[in-house]
Amino acid sequence: MDKRFYSLFNLGEDQAIALLDTPQDQISEDDSRYIAASQLVNFSTERSIHALIRAVQQTDPAMENRIVRRKSVETLGRLQAVQALPVIYTCLSDEDCYTVENAVWAIGEIGTQDPTILEAVAQLLDKPGQTYRVIIHTLAKLGYQPALDRIRRFTTSTDLPTASAAITTICRFTRDYSQMGQVVGMLQHSNVLARRLSIQDLIDAQYYDAIPEIARCPVSLVFRLRGIRMLAEAGIAAGTIVFATLQPYLEQTLRDHPNDLGMVHSYDQPPALPFLVRELYETDFGRCYLATKTILDHYAEAAPAMLFATYAEEANNDYGAHFHVIKLFGWLKHAPAYDLLIEALHNRQPQFQKSRAAAAIALGELGDRRAIPALQACLDTKIWDLKYAALMVLEQFGDLSSYEKVTPDDDWSVREKAATKLNVKR
Amino acid sequence: MKSVVTTVIASADAAGRFPSTSDLESVQGSIQRATARLEAAEKLSANLDQVATEAYNACIKKYPYLNNAGEANSTDTFKSKCARDIKHYMRLIQYCLVVGGTGPLDEWGIAGQREVYRALGLPTAPYVEALSFARNRGCAPRDMSAQALTEYNALLDYAINSLS
Repeated sequence: MDKRFYSLFNLGEDQAIALLDTPQDQISEDDSRYIAASQLVNFSTERSIHALIRAVQQTDPAMENRIVRRKSVETLGRLQAVQALPVIYTCLSDEDCYTVENAVWAIGEIGTQDPTILEAVAQLLDKPGQTYRVIIHTLAKLGYQPALDRIRRFTTSTDLPTASAAITTICRFTRDYSQMGQVVGMLQHSNVLARRLSIQDLIDAQYYDAIPEIARCPVSLVFRLRGIRMLAEAGIAAGTIVFATLQPYLEQTLRDHPNDLGMVHSYDQPPALPFLVRELYETDFGRCYLATKTILDHYAEAAPAMLFATYAEEANNDYGAHFHVIKLFGWLKHAPAYDLLIEALHNRQPQFQKSRAAAAIALGELGDRRAIPALQACLDTKIWDLKYAALMVLEQFGDLSSYEKVTPDDDWSVREKAATKLNVKR
Repeated sequence: MKSVVTTVIASADAAGRFPSTSDLESVQGSIQRATARLEAAEKLSANLDQVATEAYNACIKKYPYLNNAGEANSTDTFKSKCARDIKHYMRLIQYCLVVGGTGPLDEWGIAGQREVYRALGLPTAPYVEALSFARNRGCAPRDMSAQALTEYNALLDYAINSLS
């Protein structure tokens, strides 16, 4: 689990507990019980857990309190607080569907085989207005087979992520994976959430065959990398797959060229460059990749000036567009962007983290060997995708000296990458 | 896209009946509030960047961590803030005001998004805080009429409620 954002609030355990225990009407304008409930995820202590349980027991239906209850339930789940199960169980009958959703999810995180709790979760499938996908996930995770037929009804749900979860769970329960093609098919759906969330189902089903399709799915590479890595970790541990099988897909995804993606959108007529640059700000990355591809195919000459302009104006603050602009400068092999790419490579702000590996790849495309020391320095960070991308680019530059720098405590994929290369060298 | 009209027709369809009087009354109620909603949408549209930036500033102020060396709010180059996500939610709210229903937020901002936030360990608190700031900041008649503000605030509440 990425914990980059966990310490966002700079709030100690004592302070957070005191805040959480303060009645809502006595909270000052600058304080937030909601933040306190989030922050306690950093403190897996009896005191924190009991404070969170007390917060869940505060049932004032006002929105300010309701959101605190939900967050407290979620945090108890993250802390895997078994002692909180009885109070979380009571939330299953709450009128607020998001409280129910969080309670179901928390039960899945904590884990239980108590048939009363599991049946109560399963019965929510018959209750209108619930988040069925999360319910199905929890039942699958806890292996509650008696819910099989009730889950089967959702395989044809018009809500695609719910159908995806149901199909996957039926396959897992019956060990008949013949229908998983439907879930793989969602990787190319026009609905961005269907694409993103089907990756989670493929991970849950340990459906290794989908790795090549995940690599081609037009969503942010964060989702693709997460999917490929989680499948790889499970598959390698089980002895089902080896690193060499997935390495090309992992590297294709880190490289992230739009030509390696299956596009799900299209233009009815060739758009003008300003429109395409605007598309780089979209939250559906499928649209951003299509715009990138179109810029490369039709506006390679004119694009750099406009990319610099949009970077100065807005993209420097927008972590989505920032990423795509960095990538484009690389694919365009635009040498004057060198300084900007070096700056992006060193950018330590958490929301721009994925732009760092992107900058490494882009610097490789520029082919400017001045970047070698900066790329070598990336190997001292803790960010696996940045290290991996740096190794890929250093290899491109013919510099294998840094492979020796990879240490045993590095990320497994980085170690594997280095080992593969060093073996070849020998 | 869901709107009050499509929702009413779909639920009547599903029950195999024509829309009832009370269905039509709910459509009518929504249409009567359309002027206020469109006023709110228009005012929000004129100030969307400002509202989003102000809300983002408020949450930066609340999270001192972001001001630490190397973090989101510390360098000159990146001094102006990343208001991308807040802007996204504001745009969805604006769209909801226009269609007269919560469809845009439901489909693009909430369904599945809660799972993504949980799975990636992304914090929802900054969004909740920023949107709450926007919720408390709106003022009638300075920013818009009282009725328009009611419509706008209802959607902010809806977003805050469903993100948390």
